[in-house]
Amino acid sequence: MAATERPQSPRSSALQALNTAALALPGLLLASAQAAEEDVSFQYGHYQESNRELYEVRSRFRPIEVESLQGMARLKFTDRLKFTANYTQDTWSGATPIATAPLSFRGNRDRGIISGATPNLQNGEVYFDKQFRPLRQDAVTGALRRDDRLVHTLSSASPETRKQGDFRLGYEWDEAALTVGGGTSVEHDYESNFGNLGGRFDFNRKLTTLNLNLSYTASSTRALLDHDATPYIQRTTYGNRVEVRSDGSQILRGSRDDWAGTVGLTQVLTKSSLAEVLFGYTHARGYLANPYKVVEVAFVDPDQTPGASGELRGETLAFLERRPNTRDQWTASLRYVLHVDPLDAALHLNYGYFHDSWGIDAHTFQADWVQPLGSGWTVTPRVRYYSQDGADFYHPYLISRQAANKVVLDDAGNVRVIPYDPRRLPDAYSSDHRLSGYGALSGGITVSKEFARGFTLIADAEYYSHAGSLKLGGGGEGAYSDFNYYAVNATLKVNLDALSSAQPWQGGHEHHGAHHPIHHGGHAPAGVMFNHMLSEPGAMMVGYRYMYGHQAGGMLRGSGGIGDAALVALGCGGEPCYVTPTQMGMHMHMLDLMYAPTGWLNLMLMPQFVDMHMFMRPLAGAPEAADPGTAAAVIHANHEHTTGGVGDTGMYALFKLLDSGGHHLHATLGVSAPTGDVGIRLRDTHRQQLGFIHYGMQLGTGTWDFKPSLTYTGRNGDWSWGAQLSGTKRLEDRNESGFAFGDSFQSTAWGSYSVLDWLSASVRGVYTVRGSLAGAYNGPYHRIGPMDYGASYGGRYWDLGLGLTAVVPDGALQGNRFSFEWIQPLHDDVNGYQLPRDVGLAATWSYGF
Amino acid sequence: MIRFLLVPTTALLLCGAGLAGCTGVQPWERGILAKPHMALERYPLPEKFTGHNHGSREAAAGTGSAGGGGCGCY
Repeated sequence: MAATERPQSPRSSALQALNTAALALPGLLLASAQAAEEDVSFQYGHYQESNRELYEVRSRFRPIEVESLQGMARLKFTDRLKFTANYTQDTWSGATPIATAPLSFRGNRDRGIISGATPNLQNGEVYFDKQFRPLRQDAVTGALRRDDRLVHTLSSASPETRKQGDFRLGYEWDEAALTVGGGTSVEHDYESNFGNLGGRFDFNRKLTTLNLNLSYTASSTRALLDHDATPYIQRTTYGNRVEVRSDGSQILRGSRDDWAGTVGLTQVLTKSSLAEVLFGYTHARGYLANPYKVVEVAFVDPDQTPGASGELRGETLAFLERRPNTRDQWTASLRYVLHVDPLDAALHLNYGYFHDSWGIDAHTFQADWVQPLGSGWTVTPRVRYYSQDGADFYHPYLISRQAANKVVLDDAGNVRVIPYDPRRLPDAYSSDHRLSGYGALSGGITVSKEFARGFTLIADAEYYSHAGSLKLGGGGEGAYSDFNYYAVNATLKVNLDALSSAQPWQGGHEHHGAHHPIHHGGHAPAGVMFNHMLSEPGAMMVGYRYMYGHQAGGMLRGSGGIGDAALVALGCGGEPCYVTPTQMGMHMHMLDLMYAPTGWLNLMLMPQFVDMHMFMRPLAGAPEAADPGTAAAVIHANHEHTTGGVGDTGMYALFKLLDSGGHHLHATLGVSAPTGDVGIRLRDTHRQQLGFIHYGMQLGTGTWDFKPSLTYTGRNGDWSWGAQLSGTKRLEDRNESGFAFGDSFQSTAWGSYSVLDWLSASVRGVYTVRGSLAGAYNGPYHRIGPMDYGASYGGRYWDLGLGLTAVVPDGALQGNRFSFEWIQPLHDDVNGYQLPRDVGLAATWSYGF
Repeated sequence: MIRFLLVPTTALLLCGAGLAGCTGVQPWERGILAKPHMALERYPLPEKFTGHNHGSREAAAGTGSAGGGGCGCY
């Protein structure tokens, strides 16, 4: 079982054959979560949904989109002990359905003009014919005509982020394996913790493998209900699950537990085929509904006197959806893999059946054709078809044959209003289209290219079409719920096994005349970018860089504090300030990809992914905002604001100027391309358009930026030192949203000492100047605090960095370099009025070869 | 439908027990089975991303294993 995947030299073909045979053992082949590979992968993904059919209403909101970042490391602690760690983060924004109703209810109308984030859930009087079919009133003539068309009521959301970390530890015996794993997923309104235990048993000379898996998930919901919608949402059927707070906001709380188990059997059928059957059962209990979905109920009193055209009048009310408190789900799937010898291709066929206690039966069919093309290329087209029945309690909307409020005269002749009887509503109801009957057809393609030295790039695209008419056997939901999406992702995988067997450190990544990898402990601290060059032509380096910056505390004016009253009066350029930021945080994830075409020139590509959050509070003594839009923005500032997604992309060339003895000098010239979004807006609220989010929360600069730097490093024995001057010059006056961040300049110097032969410690000083922001948003936005004014950006900053750098000298992770730096702000002298910085962190991992 | 799946399951079990004549694959004959494109999970991260998209839009998301995945409230 101590199989290795290190490439064999051509001469050891006998060994290769044996190795191949060893790899063919089902345990390795089939349970790829426990595969023998050691690798690190990074992935970026983008999901974009299409517009929904809204008929005559034009929505000015973008459909939902998701930006996703994933990282995974699979490592071997020993030949038998393996570890996998995953990190995922998704940020989504845009419009999704909150409810469904007949078109005549006009749920997407917003003051009759636009469709917006502020859905109309309580639509007043609606009309039905005697068979309770919806009637539509002509706006001009007032005539009523039957109109059965349904439409989703859309609601839009400000960006939100989910983060998930999980791990798996596996131990392998010769004919068995045991894994234990767990993780957590956190978003502002939902948290999930999970653990799992798995076992694998090989039988029958490893032609048969049994897999068992048991898992448990505990999740909790804490959803702040949309304050625009809550006045129109009935909670009568929700008991005390919704808490109404003193400020009128409503919090829905719930928790759920999921137990799941699977049993799988994998069997080698022939020399070129294998099959797997998998059975699964999941039991979920607790709050299983979606806190953001409501069901429209039309209350129609059957005893009423019909109108002039025989119509019945009704009144609509919206109810938070209700689902059963338990759900039992059974799955069964069959996979078949066949090698097609003439083409050296593999055909993967998959059928999955799903049944649950909510009345949903679903079928999934998928076929993948995996075609290697030589030179490391593999192309995999795939097609998938999915079909499900609707849940028993799915209804696009409900009609309740009772009056919402019935006016009667009691025996004493007094007028009494009798409200609807909630007991006459069903126990469970949902109009979430994901519980409706429909089919989905999707096709995709995966293209992968394995480069020399263990690098693999994988690009994947999928187009997905959801339609009621695609349901197996017909009878699916109407066309109003149809939508499409496309999803693309790109993955970089670095195989550490292949790298380490290629003797990485002899090929490059060396400078200062060092001849042993551990001397790289003398590298610059983690917070210094462009700090070294690859000296060997053809050398490559892959690295990951994480940076974090946090601001918190009392507001600054220049370098001194300022109280609320002064901030209200002075902080917003002649207008009053209403709120102040209390905390801002920014996480940056960067990939460093470096290549040396020659010894004196290195090329570098640095894509990045960023996410930010911000908290605000009202300023004491601030006046009431006169403008209703500004007032809405002030109220919205009570929520955490978050954004996340792809940031700007750096492209650099590093030129060696001097490399003699212990001294090295190089210049870096580069540009930053404006790939980060600068058009992020807050969702509308209180029927007001809030417009652009604060400048600092946008994901990029929006401008092409010139980024030169000059770096000197030196070393002598265990000591090393260096200095760097770097700058950013905006190449445009304004970005597409109408503003430009200020130019900046930074100088830094450091010293480092090798405490151990694999560990060095560093001290660094940093001085930074940043200009203020020029221009202003060219679309709607509301200035509610200092962060909405360009004059309150930039400043002069002094920092102290304390760092540690470790280079793994041997063992499985040999040649990996880890570096960490704590960056302590010492002094801030800000432009305008800003939060002080309280901490910065930088961490890097890199691997050169 | 479960009955439909019982047939291949039974066949596999018989096969595993050596009763169906499909277990004659010797260790040195497993070169093809060892090829990366024959692996059941070929591209873990892209497959996870695609699976998450399907799971957030389809009712049959419960696959029997806990993997987090969040609320899917959007």
